[in-house]
Amino acid sequence: MTILTVALKYLRGRLVASALTSLAVALGVSLVIACVLLSRGIQQGFIEGTTDYSLLVGAKGSPTQLVLNIVFRMDAPTPNISASLYRQLRDDPRVEVAVPVAMGDAYQGYRYVATTGSYFAAFPWRRKTFAISEGRFFRDDPPEQPAYEAVLGADAARRTGLRVGDRFHEGEEMAEYPLTVVGILRPTNSADDRAIFFSLASYWQMNEISREMKVKPLTAVLVRAKRMSDLPGLHRGFNVTADTQAVFPSAVLLNIFNVLSLVDEVVAIILAIVGLVVVLYLFVSMYSATLERQREIATMRALGARRATILGIVLLESCAMAVIGGALGIAGGHGVAYLGAAVLAGRGGPVANLFVVSALEPVVFASAVVLGALAGLLPAVLAYRTEVAENLAPLS
Amino acid sequence: MTGVSAAVTLHGVTKAFPLGNGRTLEALNVQRWAVPAGRCTVLTGPSGSGKTTLLNLIAGVSLPTAGTVAVHDTEISALPEPQRDRFRAKHIGYVFQTFNLLSAFTALENVMLSMMFAGAIPNEQRRRAGEILARLGLGARLAHKPHQLSRGEQQRVAIARALANHPPLILADEPCASLDASTAREVLDELLSVCREAGTTLLVVSHESSVLAAGDQVVDITAINRAKHRVSVAERV
Repeated sequence: MTILTVALKYLRGRLVASALTSLAVALGVSLVIACVLLSRGIQQGFIEGTTDYSLLVGAKGSPTQLVLNIVFRMDAPTPNISASLYRQLRDDPRVEVAVPVAMGDAYQGYRYVATTGSYFAAFPWRRKTFAISEGRFFRDDPPEQPAYEAVLGADAARRTGLRVGDRFHEGEEMAEYPLTVVGILRPTNSADDRAIFFSLASYWQMNEISREMKVKPLTAVLVRAKRMSDLPGLHRGFNVTADTQAVFPSAVLLNIFNVLSLVDEVVAIILAIVGLVVVLYLFVSMYSATLERQREIATMRALGARRATILGIVLLESCAMAVIGGALGIAGGHGVAYLGAAVLAGRGGPVANLFVVSALEPVVFASAVVLGALAGLLPAVLAYRTEVAENLAPLS
Repeated sequence: MTGVSAAVTLHGVTKAFPLGNGRTLEALNVQRWAVPAGRCTVLTGPSGSGKTTLLNLIAGVSLPTAGTVAVHDTEISALPEPQRDRFRAKHIGYVFQTFNLLSAFTALENVMLSMMFAGAIPNEQRRRAGEILARLGLGARLAHKPHQLSRGEQQRVAIARALANHPPLILADEPCASLDASTAREVLDELLSVCREAGTTLLVVSHESSVLAAGDQVVDITAINRAKHRVSVAERV
């Protein structure tokens, strides 16, 4: 026997209490792991899903709404802008690329995004690449001859079950304008995976109001300036007008992160309280076990156990429960985070891959063990100070 | 007293317990006493006369207020606590009235535990614990926990635990008090037999007539303990 086997024997000796205590530690650890993984995944999802374009021009309103809707397909679309604004930007000498985007309704919850082929173009400065896994991209058809061709994001294709060649429409009123799937995109780990893309010509023809309009509507224009130094001018130019706004997606992203950091702080406080409750539970469990065991501790001391040995046994017991709970909690936390991410992704939330190698797990595990040792410290000291002669008196 | 023939020697030993407010209760006052080595000495006397206190002092579980306690050539009362613990683990076996087996451990593990405290390696612990339990007729009960054993078997495990490190001295505090007469007789015979075989000194506290009869010598503690069991008050300057 060693002091470790003695500690483990004692844990087995009160199996239910030990299991419940380990479970409490596991729940606490899994909560920490799940919250951190999800928070990090959402933040990373925003970063990975953000656009390569430096400026977004849309109708006057909330910059956050514009970015959330155009880049992340969240929130409601901002009011329309005129397609002439797109032409103005396209012809601006300071602009390298301008991409028009019109947000439409949705098919089975997957947002219609009308744009041009340049949306998918592989410019040298782009981090994001679009590739077709099946079929081809839609054609940039002329306004008077819409082809009603659609390209589906990877998730949209998988969840709707649409294949290349399928025709579909949302609602009876759109039955007259069915879209034909001509291509399916490879996953991009962004909101584009949950979008259905087609040409602006098709969009304008499908929409009853825009069909009648001479100047066609858009939701926004994605802009890439030729030089960084041109950005402030472009930004200012579109913000001084009464109808338009220009926003830097990165600046809006920072605002979103600021909001998320507030949530993170609240979550951190809640997690700290949960941690404290778990440590207290562990402490109470060890304390009562030590009190119940004072006669046995006195017996061990009478048999020659040193005080340090007794201290070590109690500390090891506490640490062993923290180790078991910590390991279970890390596995459970990943499970909870995986489920949470699936639910969030299903609702269109930006969640990046959660399972990346990081210091999180070792740090949380080590913290659980250290807290376990701290929780066991006072009971261990109580055991250490057990008076032998006093506790060896025969039971009446 | 010569160190050669005495397993335990006490010189000017007193033990007083604090009662608070500067008051103390003197429980033990033994000027000179020796326990002969290799023999069975039975210590008897009325309840509260200091028998268990004396055993605790000899075991080094508690320290005398004054005087010295030596086990063989080692003055146990002068050793620092960690060394006293190690000395007790290796050189003194302790048998309790209520067995004091550890409930979470099997018979084998209870015996192994005392060897662990004496520093034996796990394989050695297992081998020797198995041997000694088999010697005491518990070969088939190694994996049983205390609550699965009869009282007689529990006391045999406790004896095995006390003998496990081959200590030269065994202290037994009312080892038969919790047993019925026939079981007590069997357990006592085994304890005496094992101790005599190994030349171990046995100091037994008991009131039982069968134990008194089995001892090589019987000592009434009232004959050696001069304590008046009176409360005294320390003088304050």
